[in-house]
Amino acid sequence: MTAVKRLAAFLLSMLVLSAAVFWIARLAPGDPLVSYYGERAERLTPEERAQAEAKLGLDMPIGAQYVRWLKNALHGDLGVSFKYRQAVPEVIRGRLGNTLLLGGAGFVLIFSLALALGAVCAWYEDRPADRVLCRLGTVTSCVPEFWMCLLLILVFSVTLRLLPSSGAWSLGAGGGTAADRARHLVLPLTAVVLGHLWYYAYMVRNSLLEQMRSDYVLLARAEGLSRRRVMVRHCLRNILPSYLSLMAISVPHIMGGTYIVETVFSYPGIGTLSYESAMGRDYDLLLALCLLSGAVVMVSGMLAQAVNERVDPRMRARRTRHGKGAADRG
Amino acid sequence: MENALLQLEHLSVSFRTPAGEVEAVRDVSLSLAPGEILAVVGESGCGKSALCKAIMKLLPANASARAEKLTVAGHDIASLSERQMRPLRGALFSMVFQDPMTSLDPTYTVGAQIAEAVRAHEPRLKKPEVHRRVLELMDLVGIDRPEERCRLYPWNFSGGMRQRAVLAIALAGRPKLLIADEPTTALDVTVQAQILDLLRSVQRRLGAAAILVTHDLGVVARAADRVAVMYAGKIVETGTAEEVFYDPRHPYTWGLLRSLPSLAAEGESLYAIPGMPPTLIAPPKGDAFASRNEYALAIDYERQPPLFPAGGTHFAATWLLDSRAPHIAPPRPGAAGVLPAQARPAPGEVLLDVRHLCHSFHPAKNVAVRALEDVSFTVRRGEIFGLVGESGSGKSTLARCVMGVLRPQSGSILYKGVDVCDPAAARAARHMLRTDRQIVFQDSASSLDPRMKAADIIAEPMAVNHIAPPRGSLREEAAFQMRYVGLDPLYLDKYPPELSGGQRQRVAIARALAMEPSLLVADEPVAALDVSIQAQILNLFRHLQAEHGFTFLFIAHDLSVVRYLCDRVGVLYRGRLVELAPTKELFARPIHPYTKSLLSAIPLPDPRKERDRPLCSFDGAAPGPGGRFTETAPGHFVLTDDGKEAAL
Repeated sequence: MTAVKRLAAFLLSMLVLSAAVFWIARLAPGDPLVSYYGERAERLTPEERAQAEAKLGLDMPIGAQYVRWLKNALHGDLGVSFKYRQAVPEVIRGRLGNTLLLGGAGFVLIFSLALALGAVCAWYEDRPADRVLCRLGTVTSCVPEFWMCLLLILVFSVTLRLLPSSGAWSLGAGGGTAADRARHLVLPLTAVVLGHLWYYAYMVRNSLLEQMRSDYVLLARAEGLSRRRVMVRHCLRNILPSYLSLMAISVPHIMGGTYIVETVFSYPGIGTLSYESAMGRDYDLLLALCLLSGAVVMVSGMLAQAVNERVDPRMRARRTRHGKGAADRG
Repeated sequence: MENALLQLEHLSVSFRTPAGEVEAVRDVSLSLAPGEILAVVGESGCGKSALCKAIMKLLPANASARAEKLTVAGHDIASLSERQMRPLRGALFSMVFQDPMTSLDPTYTVGAQIAEAVRAHEPRLKKPEVHRRVLELMDLVGIDRPEERCRLYPWNFSGGMRQRAVLAIALAGRPKLLIADEPTTALDVTVQAQILDLLRSVQRRLGAAAILVTHDLGVVARAADRVAVMYAGKIVETGTAEEVFYDPRHPYTWGLLRSLPSLAAEGESLYAIPGMPPTLIAPPKGDAFASRNEYALAIDYERQPPLFPAGGTHFAATWLLDSRAPHIAPPRPGAAGVLPAQARPAPGEVLLDVRHLCHSFHPAKNVAVRALEDVSFTVRRGEIFGLVGESGSGKSTLARCVMGVLRPQSGSILYKGVDVCDPAAARAARHMLRTDRQIVFQDSASSLDPRMKAADIIAEPMAVNHIAPPRGSLREEAAFQMRYVGLDPLYLDKYPPELSGGQRQRVAIARALAMEPSLLVADEPVAALDVSIQAQILNLFRHLQAEHGFTFLFIAHDLSVVRYLCDRVGVLYRGRLVELAPTKELFARPIHPYTKSLLSAIPLPDPRKERDRPLCSFDGAAPGPGGRFTETAPGHFVLTDDGKEAAL
């Protein structure tokens, strides 16, 4: 697919996504005025109510509302958050850094740990180390993420009082020092990593084992290479392309996990914001957040494909037309 | 032997599997002198690969090996730890595997992989020296333009070239013993002969000994000094190549030699060893071959025979060599019961008419691979038409076009006068086309749904075509077809993975025959089978054809199989039909240089003839689009380039 085609597909998907979210959000029951007026919304007279709806543009038919939103969005205006009474990008900007910190650190940790754990398990295949790690991993990956969060809070903040149970920094500390932020990050990060780690470590273990049973490994061993060298230089290298593309594909998966964890830990990130905006019918904010998540999903999918083509020399060969037949005649 | 390079005594290997302990190698003793080539011959599952891996101590974790003595060049291998083994691998012995497609790492260049093997044994070598050594090795194994080729990736190489690269890797540590596990099985006939010759010349030049593991007796005759025949985990006969080929003593060796189609005389059916090898989970108490042995004595079922001496270095494990046993003259190799003279009717009207068929594939943008170019031939009703060619010659593409699975880019295929390539005509006659033409594939493991029972597989074409089973229910029909192809209806409720390769292929044939087709297309139906099973299937085809009278388009790469079975043969070379003649005429007077090279590459199970026979190699470029068919004798056509007509 050429770049133009990809871009067109991306834009089209965004359009469909925005329309779907727009409709679904408005069809869902609930009162958007609550997030704008808070408690006051319930005491509004019908006249005040109609006035408020007209002010926020909620009295028009949904289609017209969408067209208006789309027009504004194309001019760079994504609307105003009812609750925060701020432009949507402003609200998101304040939270994005926190989520990137949690998600990014989680992402890096998950994939480096998974590679290491998978390699250790493959190395000690069927020996005690492998078995213990596999059992532990299966158990942790079966525990639902929100429950894991609660468990962590219960043990480390309630019982042991070691770590804070919520927020991204201590109250009253302003932006918080690096150490303070790190302390607040420990529990959510652990929950994110534990929730996903094993899924990928198991993948690494199994694809490594599959590689280690292949003929070229037998040949490499028969020519006198050590097991470690064969594993690192040949097996790991062979699984890297699929691992890299898996990393790219799994961005949305891990992002979803981050959202849940954020909500439980009341961590001020995109996840809690999405949750709040959905609960409070903060339409414009919800839509922008959905589009942001959707864009991340799609971009990571495209990235996966690009990575795959880049890393696997066979894919490269096809592009440079160096294909089979170049050396066929000897 | 005192100065033996390899001494192996009483080796046993077993694998722990969920089904039980599989005794893959049972009490095998071997010795090998420096510079000697020993061929280990046996059918699949006889334990030959396990034997090789046990010598290199490369068995998987679920295997256990015991040997009373295992020394290689004075090193007592049996007692060495993995750490001590590593420096010996590659330097003392190394290995070449069957499939050159998978034994190279696809992510490194060929040069890098050879260099890695060089550095594994000489870690202090500097870069330019390593590079020089890589080029030397590539030159040694006959890869020309090594400077250029060492920068290519394995998938840029053809199968033969890859096997050469693997050989270079194996030779990098200057091993004293080279173990080659089916090194030519995955290769084309002409390439196989080249690799065998290379193996032999390299081995002579380096003075290394070699163990050549194979299932193909013809391969053995060309390359081996000594032969060991394995059956059910044991060596049943061993001796020099001459002793084993000219004076075989074990009934299993007799059977193997007699089942080779290249030795069958005209009009004879092939000898097929009855039955199947035993499972090795609980091997029989007596001789494992007894139940398939028509000469078995009572004692064969009770006690395992020891290796009896049969003169010189020749030994065979059969009670027939005991002094008390009756003397039995070995049957003439190749001879089997003469096929009952069934008068085959002369071929009738034209059933299949292929005209100017062209097809190319486009694996990538701006890349076209020409699979078929202007192929024309006709097949008459009741005829067995053979189509021969090496991999990439377009055989399978042609089969798909004939079956109407693939629409060729141009040309036409008339089947009973209906143009299969014309969508409208084909749709109008689709019921006839679907039921009248059937196909049997090479790999029965993947052409049968592993989650369907044999009975359902056989009856499926009837069910999907809404044909009322003539014998009552679909199941009865399936049972009938099964008996018809020589399978016990006991297998009706088995799933394909529970069946052996030969049984699966019979099920595939039964599925095709259930429709009572007029045309049966068989795409390499015996290529994946062992020699003795191959003989069974070939006999079955012959028998069915004689009884049923269907027309047969038989596609193969093995000329000896084609010679045994077919009436007329077409030779495909890079998508073009280069020669077309009645079988006898083609084998007696091949004209096209490619046909000649194919014929010369058929390995014969005759060591003396085979060793001196020169290879007739054909390295011509792909035939151009021009050229025309010339009839040189009645029915014998050959493709001639317009300009080169005089040269032929």
